[in-house]
Amino acid sequence: MTMVAHADTTPKPPLIRRILKAFVDIRELTLIVLIALIIIVMANVNPYFLSLSNFRAVAVGMAPTAIIVIGMAILLASGGFDLSVGSVMALSSTVVAMLLLTGMPIPLAVVCGLILGGVVGVVNGVLVTGLGINPLIATLGTMSIARGIALVLTEGFSVSSLPPAFAWIGKADIGGLPVMVLLTVLLVILFDLAVRHTRFFRQVYFIGANEKAAMLSGIHVTRVRIILYALTGVLAALAGVLLASRLMSGTPTAGNGIELQVLAAAVIGGASLRGGEGTILGAFLGVVFVALINNTMTMQAVSIYWQMIVIGGVLVSAVALDMLIRSKRG
Amino acid sequence: MSLSLLGNPSVSPPLIRLDRVSKSFGMNVVLDGVDFDLHPGEVHALCGENGAGKSTCLGLLYGLHQPSGGRVLLNDKEERIDTPSHAQSLGVGCVFQELSLAGALSVAENIYAGRAPTHFGVVDWPELRRRAEELLAEFGLRIDVSKPVDSLPISSRQIVEIAKALSLNSRILLLDEPTSALAPDEVDALFDVLRSLTKKGIGIVYVSHHMAEIFRISDRVTVLRDGRKISTLPVSETSQEQVVAEMIGGAHPDEINRSEDATGEVVLDVNKLSHPGVFDDISFSIKAGEIVGMAGLMGARRSEIVRSLVGLMPGATGNIHMHGQPVKFTCLRQAMRHSVGFVPEERKTEGLFLEQSLSDNLIAASLSDHTRLGVMRRASIKGAATTAIDAFSVKASGVSEEVGALSGGNQQKIMLAKWLKRAPDLLIVEEPTKGVDVGAKFQIHTELLRRAADGMAILVVSSDFPELLSLSSRILVVHDGQLKGDIAAQEATEDVVLQMAAGTAAPSIAPSNTITGATS
Repeated sequence: MTMVAHADTTPKPPLIRRILKAFVDIRELTLIVLIALIIIVMANVNPYFLSLSNFRAVAVGMAPTAIIVIGMAILLASGGFDLSVGSVMALSSTVVAMLLLTGMPIPLAVVCGLILGGVVGVVNGVLVTGLGINPLIATLGTMSIARGIALVLTEGFSVSSLPPAFAWIGKADIGGLPVMVLLTVLLVILFDLAVRHTRFFRQVYFIGANEKAAMLSGIHVTRVRIILYALTGVLAALAGVLLASRLMSGTPTAGNGIELQVLAAAVIGGASLRGGEGTILGAFLGVVFVALINNTMTMQAVSIYWQMIVIGGVLVSAVALDMLIRSKRG
Repeated sequence: MSLSLLGNPSVSPPLIRLDRVSKSFGMNVVLDGVDFDLHPGEVHALCGENGAGKSTCLGLLYGLHQPSGGRVLLNDKEERIDTPSHAQSLGVGCVFQELSLAGALSVAENIYAGRAPTHFGVVDWPELRRRAEELLAEFGLRIDVSKPVDSLPISSRQIVEIAKALSLNSRILLLDEPTSALAPDEVDALFDVLRSLTKKGIGIVYVSHHMAEIFRISDRVTVLRDGRKISTLPVSETSQEQVVAEMIGGAHPDEINRSEDATGEVVLDVNKLSHPGVFDDISFSIKAGEIVGMAGLMGARRSEIVRSLVGLMPGATGNIHMHGQPVKFTCLRQAMRHSVGFVPEERKTEGLFLEQSLSDNLIAASLSDHTRLGVMRRASIKGAATTAIDAFSVKASGVSEEVGALSGGNQQKIMLAKWLKRAPDLLIVEEPTKGVDVGAKFQIHTELLRRAADGMAILVVSSDFPELLSLSSRILVVHDGQLKGDIAAQEATEDVVLQMAAGTAAPSIAPSNTITGATS
């Protein structure tokens, strides 16, 4: 049995080439450098930027987005995506608030909110896998329906006067760090490791790379897809609960447009609509990067309208650069 | 259960027994009362034209389809195989013709797709790598299993694919054209592996079009035709000729006569065409009325060469002359204006609009022929489509039938007809009969020869060496981006071409065939 052995005989390229290649291959490195660059430049331009209160504000502000991006990044890797996350966030925030007003214990109300998010996710999953509806259309539909339900339930008003204890999740600190931020970081680390190292989540990349091949490899494509949509729903609902706790009100208009911000951040972080690639860490760094750019511009008193233009530019250049490098490498 | 079975003792129960299995999709009967069995330690080949029911048989055993009638027995136990993962748990592994690997993921992970060894759900990477290395070592393939599959040559990927099926400890292995991407020495190595598997009592169902390989590796051959079983015989009691005759059912297509040595003017002359890092110093010419074949193995860059010729891959250096005039195409439209036609290899992804009608597909490359003042002329389109259907005897319900609903052979005919109707001076065809049945192949060959006789210059790129030998007057052999041979068909045998394509023979460029410049 002598087969042509394809031994590793390629000589190691010079160090600089290898470093460059690492940056091209590992999006996280590029983002970390860019983030560090922003911090260094801003630290010299605006002394308030480096203050704890500013970092705190940025971290708390981006926590819901960062939690949702976990689900979105996994969905993107599987070749799917979900536009309904912003609406699910609003729906869970209002439903949890309304349940709390009925006197339901806080943990139970939160769990109900998360389950609700999971249910919307399962509906998305079944529409996409069972009925074969394109994820864009299916989740566009549930996005509208979930938002509509939140508005109908509240007649468009925010639900406030929540029990003071509910504020703990969104406002309390542990060891000087906001609970909300700690929870976000914990989830990011947990899911990043899970996606890299657990059997269940490794299946996601097979499905994203080639759905049919995954099926023929004995992977339960439909089951995995539905679970991923449910997970994304639960994470979106969690973001809604955190927001409700921070604002101490359930807001039916919360998270409007967040789905596109999340998608943009995930793609900047290395995910692709083609599926099969991307990491949670990358997507999270994408969120941090976008949040810092926004923060920088706010501090320099750049109009909010200009910020939209800049973020759009960043998104397109990130993807364009990626495509350029890919075509160069053949 | 039944008395007749008790009175018929066998040494060991068959791994697989299909008992009068039928399968229909809607009104379409694809399997009709097929009996088939596989014993431990046996290679049982399954032959038939496309559409004969081979892949459906594999699908039934791998849980992709359920029979509409009859029984599927594994180890004498009737089973209803619902999904591929169910089939795997019953000890059935399958390697499909199209590779099913995730390119960006590592070799090791691909082999154990979705079944990696874990501790509490967390993948045990060192163990995964160790197992993958061990498995590949059985094939004599020593590679870094943590590298992405994309970084391997195609042939190694095929080995990874087979290793993946074996990683299940399957007792039954279903192989669908496993050698389509392999070089001869790799085929030998694969066969060694298969023999060592059968020694361990594994049974193999071997689907292939390559008669020579079937007769080398198999113990028995079953021939299917139109969903019915025609025969099951030990290879010692049949012959390649007999199997082919049974496959096509008596309708022997006559031996095709290859195109004559053409004496027409030089239509295409390629001189020192190079594309850095892709191919190098390619020179040849084609005369009017001549069919020239281009042979090579996977990864020889034949496709890149012809795509450079028609403007689909800009950046090449060197000279190209059409009818003696220098040309340089930077897009396909330019090539088309110079009367060049190009039929690509992948009909489903490159050649056809599967959801569009047969007539729309036919006119896609010649819209302006059917337009008056910017308005499409329906009568003219219908006329052209009807002509093409008749010329190629396409089996379709009408000109408005969706192309995706046609069989592979008929799709291939449509793709070819789309370019032939432009009557180009030079037609470049990639894999003209890939995955089509014997009948369609015969018709396609006949049509190509007829057009060549009418003065068309045709360049055929094919991995099917017998096809090239029977069609072309000359054969260009490409290996690793270089022209290794330009040989007259009379001197070419399958063996010679294969040796050159594999890079194991000395280059042979016949001087008489490398005339450059206009000779008209």
